[in-house]
Amino acid sequence: MKTILNRIKKISLVTVLSLLGLQSCSENFIDVDSNQETEDALTPDSAPELVNAIYNSFLSWEMSSFGWTGLTSIASDDADKGSIPSDTGADKDLLDALTITPTLLSAAEVWRGHYDGIQRANQAISRIPKFEMDANLQTRLLGEARFLRGLMYFRLVQTFGGVPLISEVTSVEDINEDILSRKTKEACYLFIEEDLLFAIDALPLKSEYPAAQLGRATKGAAQTLLAKVSMYQSKWDDVLALTEAVMQSNEYGLTPNYEDIWKEISENNIESIFEIQARGNEPAAGVDKYSTIQGARGEGGWGWGFNTPSEDLEKAYSPNDQRKDATIMFAGETLFDGRVIDINAPNPRYNQKAYSSILTESEQTGKNIRILRYAEVLLMNAEAKSILGGDVATPLNAVRLRAGLTAATDLSTLAIWEERRLELAFEHDRYFDLVRQGRASEVLNSKGIPFVQGKHEVFPIPQEQIDISGGALVQNPNY
Amino acid sequence: MIFAQNSVSGKVTDEYDIPLPGANVTIDSRQKGTQTDFDGGFTLEVYPGDVITISYLGYIKQTIPVGDKTKFIIKLKEDVSALSEVVVVGYGTQKKAILTSAVSQVKGEDLAKEPVLNAAQALQGKASGVLVMASDAPGQASTVIIRGLGTVQGGRDPLYVVDGVLTDNINNINSADIESLNVLKDAASLAIYGNRGANGVVMVTTKKGKSGKMVLNFDTYTGFRDILSRVEMANASQYVTYSNEALRRDYLTDNDPTNDDSTFGFIPTNQKYDTNWLDEITQQGLVSNYNLSASGGSDNVKAFFSAGFNEERGVLLNDEFNRLTLRSNVDYKISDKIDFSHNVGVQLASGSPQNYGLFTSAYKQAPIIPVRDENGAYGSSTSLNSVANPAVDAGNEFKKDKNKFFKIQGAFKLDYEIIEDLTFTSRFSIETEYGRFYAFRDRLGNFLAQNPFNTESSFEGDSENPAKTRLTVTHTNTYRWFLDNYFTYKKTFNEKHTLNATLGITSEENRSELLSATRNNVPLDPNLNFNLNTGDEDDTQLNSGALSVVDRLYSYIARVNYDYKDKYLLGGSFRRDGSSKFQKGQQFGNFYAVSAGWVVTEEKFMANSIFNILKLRASYGELGNQNVPLNVLAATTGSAGFYPFGQNQDLQQGITITGTIQEDLTWETTNEFDLGLEFTLLNYRLSGELDFYRRLNTNATLQIELPDIIGFDPFNSHVGEIENKGIEFALNWKDNIGEDFKYNVGFNVSYNENKITKVTNPFFSEQLGGFINNGQYTKKVAVGQPLGSFYLYDIEGIDDQGDFVYKDLNDDGVIDESDRAYFGSYLPKFFGGFNLGIQYKQFDFGVETFANVGNKVYNGKKAQRFGNENIELLNFNSRYTTGRPSNTTPRAFNNVPLSSTYYLEDGDFFRINNITAGYTIPMKNNSFFNTVRIYATAKNPFVFQKFTGFSPELSGDPLGNAGIELDAYPTLRSFYIGLNTSF
Repeated sequence: MKTILNRIKKISLVTVLSLLGLQSCSENFIDVDSNQETEDALTPDSAPELVNAIYNSFLSWEMSSFGWTGLTSIASDDADKGSIPSDTGADKDLLDALTITPTLLSAAEVWRGHYDGIQRANQAISRIPKFEMDANLQTRLLGEARFLRGLMYFRLVQTFGGVPLISEVTSVEDINEDILSRKTKEACYLFIEEDLLFAIDALPLKSEYPAAQLGRATKGAAQTLLAKVSMYQSKWDDVLALTEAVMQSNEYGLTPNYEDIWKEISENNIESIFEIQARGNEPAAGVDKYSTIQGARGEGGWGWGFNTPSEDLEKAYSPNDQRKDATIMFAGETLFDGRVIDINAPNPRYNQKAYSSILTESEQTGKNIRILRYAEVLLMNAEAKSILGGDVATPLNAVRLRAGLTAATDLSTLAIWEERRLELAFEHDRYFDLVRQGRASEVLNSKGIPFVQGKHEVFPIPQEQIDISGGALVQNPNY
Repeated sequence: MIFAQNSVSGKVTDEYDIPLPGANVTIDSRQKGTQTDFDGGFTLEVYPGDVITISYLGYIKQTIPVGDKTKFIIKLKEDVSALSEVVVVGYGTQKKAILTSAVSQVKGEDLAKEPVLNAAQALQGKASGVLVMASDAPGQASTVIIRGLGTVQGGRDPLYVVDGVLTDNINNINSADIESLNVLKDAASLAIYGNRGANGVVMVTTKKGKSGKMVLNFDTYTGFRDILSRVEMANASQYVTYSNEALRRDYLTDNDPTNDDSTFGFIPTNQKYDTNWLDEITQQGLVSNYNLSASGGSDNVKAFFSAGFNEERGVLLNDEFNRLTLRSNVDYKISDKIDFSHNVGVQLASGSPQNYGLFTSAYKQAPIIPVRDENGAYGSSTSLNSVANPAVDAGNEFKKDKNKFFKIQGAFKLDYEIIEDLTFTSRFSIETEYGRFYAFRDRLGNFLAQNPFNTESSFEGDSENPAKTRLTVTHTNTYRWFLDNYFTYKKTFNEKHTLNATLGITSEENRSELLSATRNNVPLDPNLNFNLNTGDEDDTQLNSGALSVVDRLYSYIARVNYDYKDKYLLGGSFRRDGSSKFQKGQQFGNFYAVSAGWVVTEEKFMANSIFNILKLRASYGELGNQNVPLNVLAATTGSAGFYPFGQNQDLQQGITITGTIQEDLTWETTNEFDLGLEFTLLNYRLSGELDFYRRLNTNATLQIELPDIIGFDPFNSHVGEIENKGIEFALNWKDNIGEDFKYNVGFNVSYNENKITKVTNPFFSEQLGGFINNGQYTKKVAVGQPLGSFYLYDIEGIDDQGDFVYKDLNDDGVIDESDRAYFGSYLPKFFGGFNLGIQYKQFDFGVETFANVGNKVYNGKKAQRFGNENIELLNFNSRYTTGRPSNTTPRAFNNVPLSSTYYLEDGDFFRINNITAGYTIPMKNNSFFNTVRIYATAKNPFVFQKFTGFSPELSGDPLGNAGIELDAYPTLRSFYIGLNTSF
């Protein structure tokens, strides 16, 4: 017994010492390597992924959905708030009545959504040039990133006027008053033009992309967008030259039937110059609730019923204009796919261009959103010619004839503006167009919308952002 | 002269004649002795001059000269002197009498009085400074906040230590297995837990075997549960009246004069149905609990075993939970110098969780909608509102959920006395938990049931292969192990100076994993629908997995306590914690505490005072909270980066960086100062404790939000200070009147003041919170305010149109965001309990209460009401109408109301937590049972509350649903009958 005890004693002592010994010299026990994907995961192989992430930001609620629709459509004469009276959609009632203030949620969403996307673009634009990789791909990817950044800044300038220009990834230490303050509209346009000129040089034609890459930014898209940016600055020579270049590229044409443009079958078709690619099937990567917010409400409906076509818009179409029925879903109507809009739906009209025939109720809209299409190129071309002189009729009539109308008798700039309204209704252009054309107060006031000159040309800078900037960010006049 | 040896016999019992098996009966002069048997009996060979000593743990030792007696009936008195009481502290034990730290102690027997699944809930109202927010949902744990909330972004829960195993909760511990619960509250007791000590520590000690004959206990209780406070809703005709009034108002206020007289959309008044939705989704809850334990052993091996089973049917339909626990605690005495023990607990739990949002749906759903219409189809409200039929979901016809948990927790401990007074302890512990979650959805069935207009062909439109059913199976595993090695040295020099020191090293590893898979179109057959393989095998399946970064700690621990004749006390403790969570080079932190005490009653001048014990103590130290959100600059991928390209819309991966990090982010450091007074007087009958404390989180992690133009996600940084200061007071009176009547009365109250005192960064984001899913928020984090503060518009009254009038707090003529103000927090300012226990002969009676004062509750479900949803009866009856103006309740309306004080109510409540009456049946000496007690318990029989909702006790995330009644489980009233036996 004693020997056993002694042995236990010895074993215990040895155990004590070895346990302590083992444990005591092991502070490096806590040096653990991370298994998460961090910045280090950004290798040359991920260059396309950095760019894909910019496209992805166009699927977000803030970039593309409720707020953007509110600013660009509901505020205009094309659309009413819609939905039911008690559902204000946070601030869509204010936009409809144009009684907006600096705390407008829609403006805050659009501001944030776009700068988030710009940050992603800056990540790509600053990192990709440092990668050792295939030079052609590198150039193309930079072209895509700069096209997308240009598009986002253009939309910001349309909405707010001059904005802060963030051109690179900004660290916390770099934040200063200059970074936070707004640049002039002219400086912003110059920046956008640089991006788009780079993109025009860097990007391939639509037909040069392999089928699996359809949907990426093209030279044509960059030219079209630059034409539009030039139009906003009344640089008509540039508008003409760029639209001519697109028209002569032989890459694009018109969809024979206007209504087909917004059907799933026509995604990326001949008329398409740039669209947000959206997938509704699981795993979905769609535009967040784009169709839901604008879908028919009530019994048998699938949406919230916002952004409804106004009576004024309905009346603007001439009787033979096929675009009326393609743009508006009427209560009681049977749609092309057999779906019936309930006759007792709370609103008489809904936006058909936001209607998704497949996976209608999916909150991730699976239908691509058309951003730039060939008809707009023709209309810009016509508008430029109406000012500079030239053959207005050909491009204008191409658009009219497709809509089931006869050739135009009035070739004035004003007539082209009316054609734009009917052709591009609900494509997020109407409000900005009216401002650009300098007749927003005239047109809107006549329809009872209290547009104030010198104020409502732009939307208010989000108050919260002004506060957080410590006053570096300055509010638009009269807000 | 040699006397002949005599054989004497006897019986050892407690004061109530309950036998004490395993008591030591010794003759110290000759080192002879024995232990009492199962019935407390013993026999011993003695000489007439011997003195026998009878001792039993927790009882006062007796010595009796043998003389010429041959039969002894010995009643041992419970040792109430508290002088010998030992308290379990981190990595050791200490004598309560010379403790210099604030520790609240609750004995297992006091916990056992209240039938609860989780012992944390039984702490409510029993320990000062410990706020317990109970939840009555099946299997749900309570929230425990010790000495106030000290963090916004960091982990808020205390650390639990079960027999030395550091863990996150005690859901797996059978309350009947608990010997004692000690809550460590001040730096002196917490510093030894270093960077996990800042939220306090709950030490759980489970029961050990006692030597002597095997004692078996069988306990059971069963009972039923119902909702304690119900909210009366409007009936069908009232609902119709209100809804139509509201719609009329919409027409009158929408600036469209053409529809002012319209009745379009009005609900017809003659309705067929009048559904009480709460009744339709609830039932009487049932609980049964069984517990069997065995304890016994020899001098060398003592074992405790228990098996517990708890089964609950919730008040919400198809909400079930059951739990089986097994425990084996064994102590081995290997030699005089070596002890070995293992404590192992196993938990098997399973539940079928239900969606508590159903309480909100039932509150909101229109009473004119039937559960099922006359054709048997589910009632649908799609033409009225967007509330789903609650009975569809509650009935589980189109879904099935099952959660299963398996957890093992075990500690293996070796104590080796190297030389006298110096002991080495090595403990290895492990804990692992497996979770399995099955969620089956009959998506098509649900789609068809929710809306009569839905048809199979309209389901998922033209999708080629719609997901008619979907099964998701998730497996989780957490795993951790610990190795603690430490020395304990305890010695008294010159009978005056006592030194008690601990020194050691501990290391620890934590890891967790998750694997989840989804498949569509598994069969509806209930035997097959939890089997992934029966689903579609295509690319629609979604699989995901996550493996956590290994989290390791490596720490040095040290503690020294010194006392001079039990009179002057000094203590110091230290922990150097290295944690792999933090940036290399910044992993080690030092945490410490110093403390001192003065036992005044040990002074000569106190010799004849009424005080038995009077002790003053003070401590100060630095604690950490390493459970903070870390800034790993993770690349954004997955759905935040995917984009479809090409005609087939194949997803391409995206990756980007959407944030920035503060590289120096580390643990939160809390300074705590404590001043305490402990006293016992009037012959140990009255005892109490008084504590003042101030805890300051000196580098609170708060959110930084850069201007949007930078495009970065919000991130965390150490930019604030959060203070908690308070007073705790506890008083207990214990006495008997005559032999038969014993009673005790306890009272405790705690006061805590919480606020963010300082913020140092201009981009500190006054984080908004308490969103109630209708675009409205209710809370904001701000300097000078307590955490979880409500930030609302202030209601001035109702105008002559029946509309809310909001106070223009900044007097600028406009009601906007800048007119919001702070109106208090969901955290109570005061809370406490009053407890009473009486024992008269065979009868026992106990009452436990809990009071909570000074907190606010937001009636979220009421504030969320939207067009054509139901209203409360009270609201209906008091609403403004043209004929009957009201100054308190607006007229019928449909708009989303601003978050305002109209929906904020006082959360004060006083609740009888528990009333128990028991009777112990007298047993004959030779009967099979030692003791049999029957009892009846009413849990939460009464509550006095100001809140008009279901429950003012609403825990959760301080910036989330805490203090907001929305999708919340109501407080229940329960009645149980129970039986305790020992044999």
